[in-house]
Amino acid sequence: MIQVSGLTKTIATPTHRVDILKGIDLEIPRGQFAAIMGPSGSGKSTLLGLLAGLDSPTSGHIVLDGEDITGLEEDELALLRGRKIGFVFQSYHLIPTLTAEENVLLPLELSGHAADGVERARELLQSVGLLDRRDHYPVQLSGGEQQRVALARAFVVRPPILLADEPTGNLDTANGQVVLELLITLNRREGTTLVLVTHDQQVSEQADRRITLRDGRVVLDA
Amino acid sequence: MRNRLSWSTASKIAWREARASSAKFLFVIVAVAIGVGSLTGVRGFSRAFYGMLLREARTLMAADLSLRVFAIPNAQQTATMDQLIRRGVRRTWITETLSMVASTTVPNPVLVSIKAVDAHVYPFYGEVKLDPPGSLARVLTADSVAVSEDLLLRLKVAVGDSVRLGGQPFRIIGVVTSEPDRMSGSLNVGPRVMITREGLDRTGLMSIGSRASERYLFRLTPGSPGIEEVRQTLQKSFPEALIADFRQTHPIITQGLNRATTFLSLVSLIALIVGALGVATAMQAHLQQKMDSIAIMKCLGARTREIIQIYVLQTIGLGLAGGLMGIAFGSVVEAAFPPLIARYFHLRPEAHWDPSTAIQGLAVGILTTLLFTLPPLLGIQRIRPGVIFRREMAEVRPGWKQRLRDARASLVAGGVILCGIGVIAGWLQIGTLRESVRTGVAFVVALVISLLVLAAIAWLLLRSVRTFVRRCPRRFPAPIRHGVANLYRPGNHAQAALVALGIGVMFTLTIFLVQRGMMAEMFKSAPPGMPNVFLLDITAKERDPIVDLIRAQRGIEGAPDVVGTVAAKVVSIDGKPIDSLNLKAWGRRFQRARAVAQAAERPAHTVIVQGAWWNSRAAQPEPQLSITEEAAQILHAHPGSHMEWEAAGRTIRARVAAIHRIDSIHMYGRIEFIFSAGTLDGLPIIYYGGVRVAPRAVAQLQRATYEKFPTVTVVNVADVLEIVQQVVDQIALVVRFISMFAILAGIVILASSVAGTRFRRIREVVILKTLGATRRRVAGIFSVEFMVLGAVAGLMGSLLATAFSALLLKRWLDADFRVDPLPNLLCIVLTALVANAAGWMASYRILGQKPLEVLRAE
Ligand SMILES: Nc1ncnc2c1ncn2[C@@H]1O[C@H](COP(=O)(O)OP(=O)(O)OP(=O)(O)O)[C@@H](O)[C@H]1O
Ligand SMILES: [Mg+2]
Repeated sequence: MIQVSGLTKTIATPTHRVDILKGIDLEIPRGQFAAIMGPSGSGKSTLLGLLAGLDSPTSGHIVLDGEDITGLEEDELALLRGRKIGFVFQSYHLIPTLTAEENVLLPLELSGHAADGVERARELLQSVGLLDRRDHYPVQLSGGEQQRVALARAFVVRPPILLADEPTGNLDTANGQVVLELLITLNRREGTTLVLVTHDQQVSEQADRRITLRDGRVVLDA
Repeated sequence: MRNRLSWSTASKIAWREARASSAKFLFVIVAVAIGVGSLTGVRGFSRAFYGMLLREARTLMAADLSLRVFAIPNAQQTATMDQLIRRGVRRTWITETLSMVASTTVPNPVLVSIKAVDAHVYPFYGEVKLDPPGSLARVLTADSVAVSEDLLLRLKVAVGDSVRLGGQPFRIIGVVTSEPDRMSGSLNVGPRVMITREGLDRTGLMSIGSRASERYLFRLTPGSPGIEEVRQTLQKSFPEALIADFRQTHPIITQGLNRATTFLSLVSLIALIVGALGVATAMQAHLQQKMDSIAIMKCLGARTREIIQIYVLQTIGLGLAGGLMGIAFGSVVEAAFPPLIARYFHLRPEAHWDPSTAIQGLAVGILTTLLFTLPPLLGIQRIRPGVIFRREMAEVRPGWKQRLRDARASLVAGGVILCGIGVIAGWLQIGTLRESVRTGVAFVVALVISLLVLAAIAWLLLRSVRTFVRRCPRRFPAPIRHGVANLYRPGNHAQAALVALGIGVMFTLTIFLVQRGMMAEMFKSAPPGMPNVFLLDITAKERDPIVDLIRAQRGIEGAPDVVGTVAAKVVSIDGKPIDSLNLKAWGRRFQRARAVAQAAERPAHTVIVQGAWWNSRAAQPEPQLSITEEAAQILHAHPGSHMEWEAAGRTIRARVAAIHRIDSIHMYGRIEFIFSAGTLDGLPIIYYGGVRVAPRAVAQLQRATYEKFPTVTVVNVADVLEIVQQVVDQIALVVRFISMFAILAGIVILASSVAGTRFRRIREVVILKTLGATRRRVAGIFSVEFMVLGAVAGLMGSLLATAFSALLLKRWLDADFRVDPLPNLLCIVLTALVANAAGWMASYRILGQKPLEVLRAE
């Protein structure tokens, strides 16, 4: 369950003051698949980042499963992410110095559950179809392959919340479909809350709900 | 064909890019500044301190150069000297002679050594101290003298009384308590009488045929010919004269100065390497970051030469900015420190700012910048843009021949720039052009060899650490596995980092080890118990009572040492009569009787240069003999030669078994011939003794000795030895100080080079945080990585430093080397800690940052 109330984000550069988010109120129940849409620059990535505690809002509150994360310390946020949140970036952000398998294993190791991790990691790599590439480094993988590894990495700790920022944006239709199906399967099978930013009408049609942002405000929610 | 990119456009692009990521650029500039700053700082300090040491050494000669002649200069020789004076060299003339001084209070006159000076000019350096205090120039007139304390004693007179010299009356205006160049004078046997030249003329002592020693002291001035030129000019004109410069006042000082010179040159060279290392690692990190931009530019149609143009401009700009900042920083340190140092260390370095130091610093900054940017930039020439995106991993590695061919341009550029650095190294060397060339070449060769060796060891060690962590049956905790694994990732450049760190550690530790070895050696050759009072002409009967008397005195700091000598004269060498040898100047002493000694064991402090000391226990078929290097050279004797001697009517035939060397400051230092035990038995023996006395107790000792043994001459060198000790202490202090400074600079540079990897880590830190890692966790992973890196680099560095300093100490500094595991262990631990602390400090801010900001920025 994600509750967002009165969320704003303002950034002051030396020359400008940019109001990126101008007051967002949302509630996403557990297990829902919500798609966030909107034109470029409308604040989608910013919102998602705030949900994951990757940045702090200017005002307003974010409550995840009853826990208000807005006042949390950096380290508390990190621990929370490790427990609760899987994040998929538009531009993958794999660690270039780790192999595919090691990248997937990383969150488990960080939370101290690495013991049974290798099996789980391989299982996930298998399900994204990259088991045979597990010893490859990110630079040796294509964009779609890297995104699939990133997906496996996001799933590995079975997070109750999965946030994905245009995970298919850089991929061709076929690859995009594979990634999307993986996400949706997980959402259905494990009851994961899925918040997905996308420009793709087809993708958003598969969601339970479509939230549209414009100029930092929710203009449509259906 | 497109037009070439104009330099102004290139610089505009370069500048634009620099402006955009100013924080990163500032970091590079600061890193370069630290490198250049420590080079100029160490260099400047070395020079200032070296100047100070030389100034101190000059006071022992009271001049820069002394010329001792055995005959009055002829017209042509006088013209040579006048020529030098016209070119700015200053000169003063000193005459020393022996004569008798009488007073009305005692019946017998006393033999004294007279020194006639021009009190208005002499001494050029240092000061003649008088009691009652006064300036020599003011109080010494044509009818007065200044004398040493023992003369007052022997003549039973006091300051203000009159004495007669050459029949003329002279008033004693004071006691000479310190005379800077007493060591370099001759005839310092009897009490001292210092007199003006007019006074000496008044005595009429200098009539033709009198035995006098003439010395000319020279002082160089800015703009006058240099010491070597003056020396050579004089040498040519006065082939028989004894010429010495201020570095040769005392064997201990000569040796100390030589060592200090070598050491300071070494430290400068090391500062050059370590400074260049700072610049290099900064540039390396900088360029790696630029690879993406380069790839994008290639994709946009930029040609390699244009890219090189842009980035070389940019890096030169960085090198220049950093270099200038470093010079400013070095100069501030140089200007700010001396007062502090003067206050706490009793060192007074010469304040001086030398543009050549600044130019060297700047040249090093820019050359090193080029060295570490040009070859990699040239290397991208053959690479297709797409590959640059995946630069960390070439899919197919070409064979080494192909790679070598591809890298030809880079290798050539690298070679040329290395030569440039070699030239700077040669330039840093104090000395002649040939020495400079040799230094430069040796420097580059040594650098390349140590780079290769380090690279090989780094590779080996990295492999073994990895194998160990993998093969170890117990699984290590995650941070350790991660940290260690991090070292082996493509793109981590752990091997390069290890080599850089290893070089830094190696040279920094080398400074410490060499410094320590050198100090040990210096204190060994100038032990605090060295005799400073000598007693001459002790008869066999007086020997024991005088030793007892001395023992009973106050202020005795070591047991008196007594050596027996026999007056013996050389008759022939290998059958050739001594008179047939064409002996010159100083060599003529061998025509008279010399004091020779006998000994069973090799006396302490002697070094055998040729032949071997005889077995003292076995009976010798014939008397054996060991002679000093100098005597052997003059007499054309060598091991196996036979010498015939005559002493008290007895003929002695002995075989030269060994040629030895000993500093004149030691007890046996004045004896040029040592026979095997028993050879001189039965001959009349004259003893002389030496003892270490507290300087203030010397007068009392002289008085007591004179009362009981008036025929025994007491030679007091306490004041001289005091100065020698002071200079040695100063050298030691300077060496310690400079090493401390250089080591500190080395640590700062190492730290900054580790910190330079910071930008590479930002993204990784953020991703780890996104995945749920706490700051401690992230720091833990990096700590392991840095620790392993530091420890491995420390291990490599300390191994090589041990080998290298052993070589330096033995080959160049004539000092012993002893392996001591403690500093090595300490060094390894310290490197690990420094690497860790630096890595930590550099990453600290990133750890606290909000992930999203960073990800946007990347
Ligand atoms: N640190 C920042 N400084 C200045 N402006 C910023 C900053 N971060 C975000 N913005 C601005 O906020 C707005 C929203 O950015 P955001 O990345 O959330 O957009 P988005 O909806 O994800 O767009 P897109 O679909 O193109 O990814 C943009 O106009 C961006 O320029
Ligand atoms: Mg976005």
